[in-house]
Amino acid sequence: MTRRARLSSIAATILVLLVDVGGLFAQGAPHTEYDIKAAYLYTFGRFVEWPPRGASRDAANFAICVLGVDPFGAALDATLAGATMRGKKVVGKRIVTPKDALDCHVLFISASEERQLDAIVRALDKTDILTVSDIPKFAERGGMIQFITAGQRVRFEINLAVAQDAGLSLSSDLLKVASAVRRDRRPAE
Amino acid sequence: MGTVLHAALVDLTAAVRLAVIAVTFLLAMLPAFALAGPPENDQAGAPRLTELSLEQLGDLEVTSVSKQPEEVWRTAVAVYVITQDDIRRSGATSIPEILRLAPGIEVARIDSDHWAVGVRGFGDQFSKSLLVMIDGRSLYTPLFAGMYWPAHDALIEDIDRVEVIRGPGGTIWGANAVNGVVNIITRSAAETPGMLMSIGSGNIDRGAAALRYGGGNGSSLNYRAYGKGVSRGPQFHSDGSRFDDWWMSQAGFRTDWQDAAGQSLTLQGDVSRGSHGQRVSITSHSPPAMIAADGALDASGVNLLARWQRDFTPTRGFRLQGYFDRTSWSAPNFGETRETFDIDFVHHQTLARRHSLTWGAGARQSPSRFIQTIPTLDFTPHRETGSIYSGFAQDEMLVRRDRLWLTVGSKLEHNNYTGIEMEPTARLLWIPRSGQTAWAAVTRAVRTPSRIERGIVSRSLTRAVAAVPVFLDLVGNPDFSAERMTGYEAGYRTLVAPQLYLDAAAFHNRHEGLSSFGLLSGATLESSPPPVHAVVRVSYVNGVSGSSDGFEISPDWRPRQWWQLKGSYSYVRFDLVTTPGSIDVNAVARYEGASPHHQVRLQTRVDLPRGTEIDGAYRYVSALPALLVAGYHTADARIGWRVSSRVDLSVSGQNLLQPHHAEFAHSPGPAVEISRSVYAALTWRPASGRP
Repeated sequence: MTRRARLSSIAATILVLLVDVGGLFAQGAPHTEYDIKAAYLYTFGRFVEWPPRGASRDAANFAICVLGVDPFGAALDATLAGATMRGKKVVGKRIVTPKDALDCHVLFISASEERQLDAIVRALDKTDILTVSDIPKFAERGGMIQFITAGQRVRFEINLAVAQDAGLSLSSDLLKVASAVRRDRRPAE
Repeated sequence: MGTVLHAALVDLTAAVRLAVIAVTFLLAMLPAFALAGPPENDQAGAPRLTELSLEQLGDLEVTSVSKQPEEVWRTAVAVYVITQDDIRRSGATSIPEILRLAPGIEVARIDSDHWAVGVRGFGDQFSKSLLVMIDGRSLYTPLFAGMYWPAHDALIEDIDRVEVIRGPGGTIWGANAVNGVVNIITRSAAETPGMLMSIGSGNIDRGAAALRYGGGNGSSLNYRAYGKGVSRGPQFHSDGSRFDDWWMSQAGFRTDWQDAAGQSLTLQGDVSRGSHGQRVSITSHSPPAMIAADGALDASGVNLLARWQRDFTPTRGFRLQGYFDRTSWSAPNFGETRETFDIDFVHHQTLARRHSLTWGAGARQSPSRFIQTIPTLDFTPHRETGSIYSGFAQDEMLVRRDRLWLTVGSKLEHNNYTGIEMEPTARLLWIPRSGQTAWAAVTRAVRTPSRIERGIVSRSLTRAVAAVPVFLDLVGNPDFSAERMTGYEAGYRTLVAPQLYLDAAAFHNRHEGLSSFGLLSGATLESSPPPVHAVVRVSYVNGVSGSSDGFEISPDWRPRQWWQLKGSYSYVRFDLVTTPGSIDVNAVARYEGASPHHQVRLQTRVDLPRGTEIDGAYRYVSALPALLVAGYHTADARIGWRVSSRVDLSVSGQNLLQPHHAEFAHSPGPAVEISRSVYAALTWRPASGRP
């Protein structure tokens, strides 16, 4: 390669860098799918009323839990750092079995638990935990909120009957934004 | 086109300067990190995600949708998923280098453009008995039963994940999925919108450039097109030669259409060209001589694939796929052109909630032509059409609700060499409780003969005895039959603690009829053509049997939210014997001693504020006594900086612990040693035009 070609390739590199410098800090950091899902888990809490439950739940914290193999990586803790919900400190927790979920307000069920989903749904029956997952057909199989990734955007679907049976009340604003609202009960045993 | 690109890319000086610029730029920005506030408030005026409304969250565009490996957690297969994030943070720039990330797979770089890849042993130059696919298109070459790695590439940024399956997978994937299966899956066009430009340069990967544009309406119809070019320099040669420099360029497209009723249509294709430098031995008859010739294998390829998928309900659907693939190789000592037409149908349905039934059928026709370029290497016949017809059925039965599943099935396959082959499997999956999975499997797999074993006619000069030259003739064996393997496997996955996962798998494989050399006739004196010479004739035979055993353990630990540690230890041992009739006394040593018995890998990934990533990897590979290759330790490191949502910068170093080390043998000549390398890359995503 000639010296000129070499110089022009360096110049091109610098140009690429310079042209974009204006845009470097203008835009927010990029959001991965799980950054957005983590934010949803928190935001859902603002649109849900939990029934009073006395001492059976940690009074100081609002717990958002992940059951199974954690897909969030650092995203969940980074999103929740310093966040509060109705005066309570928001904490992220990882749990291994549904039995550990009783302290949780919001429970995200990892795709690793797909085969166990029916058992998990049964174990959580009659508990006031908002269940969320991206497992396909989650809302149909007895879950409350299912993430749907359409193109480059993350939306969600709600099964209202399941949430109501658990004693949760979902605000109409939440239902309005949902891509779909189902009203079927949990599948018969 | 290739030559122009080549000329534009090849210049070591420019490469080094570019690297210096990138490093300087990174260093210059370091104080900015130091002065930066906490990571969550890094954009003045940009609200935190938790402050957004539901509508705003729903409108955010996701920069990377990554299929997570969580879903494989509950499968009765030893599978490891390498995600796009893993690939990016490894600094790997080619498919075989990416495979180093998976446990139980051995990747040895022979020279700059050749790799020997094995799964659970059996690493060899042709990566025999390993089935590799990109988006359902087989890259396996029937010419020598394996992979010719430098001819296959993809836009690395568009790879969604690489699934590495250890152990036999014949029931689903058919013949040649014996030791393992590698599935490279690219993102759908909906997941790659907008423009992406990336350039990189270093001392081995001298120059690389890629451009991709994705468009569409963001929901039902999307497309992308890309082009890339890479030029790589030679590795270290103790004799000062530089024959293994190479370049390749590739372009392609993908269109995805889907409707609301669960129907999707994909059309994709690629064209590629490359020139891969190599040194081969060429024997001439008169005068009797064997010379090492440096030259290039020029490869070109074109492929087109269409896939129609329809899910009537979540429990019932089908997939119909067809592809055409054409490859053309021209090397200093041979040439081949091959066309492949493949059609494949799979249907799945859940019956009575207890049975999940999958069945399918496929056909492949693969006409090929061998082009003889030197008198001492030929294949007979020159033209041959490979054909495969297959059908399979498998049922996953729920034995105990939420706890126990049994999968049984078989493939029935007819090929033009060995007729009908059966590849049955039985797999048991047990989930004793949440967070634990145990599985066991018995599977039979076959490797069907390749053209080399059936039809090669080659002559090489061994030595002269009392001034009489002795030639070794290797001729194909029309009776060479399939290599057969029965694999017994078991595995266990557990969440030891909420942030500590452990995956372990063990295997005992029984091999029958592995290929070795058999003697056809001892030294016979021949006078024609002159001069007087002796000829020893050998052929391929199914001359080695026995077993291999081993295990892999791979923990994955995240001690802090910003720090992840991954590791793996892989062990394999062999117990092989030469069957009566085979004279190949070295065959057993070759199988046992050409794969590392121990491999260790450790990776650390640290996320610092402001999108800075620091990654490191260490690996140990034990010796290959059959190839006189010593065991080695080495390490890779990478610093990545996500400057903004549009710009990524990274500098990575590979094989850092020594100036150069050998990983495999090279024939002819001394082993080529793999150099320490440094590579700087810049990725730029200009704002997408889409609303």
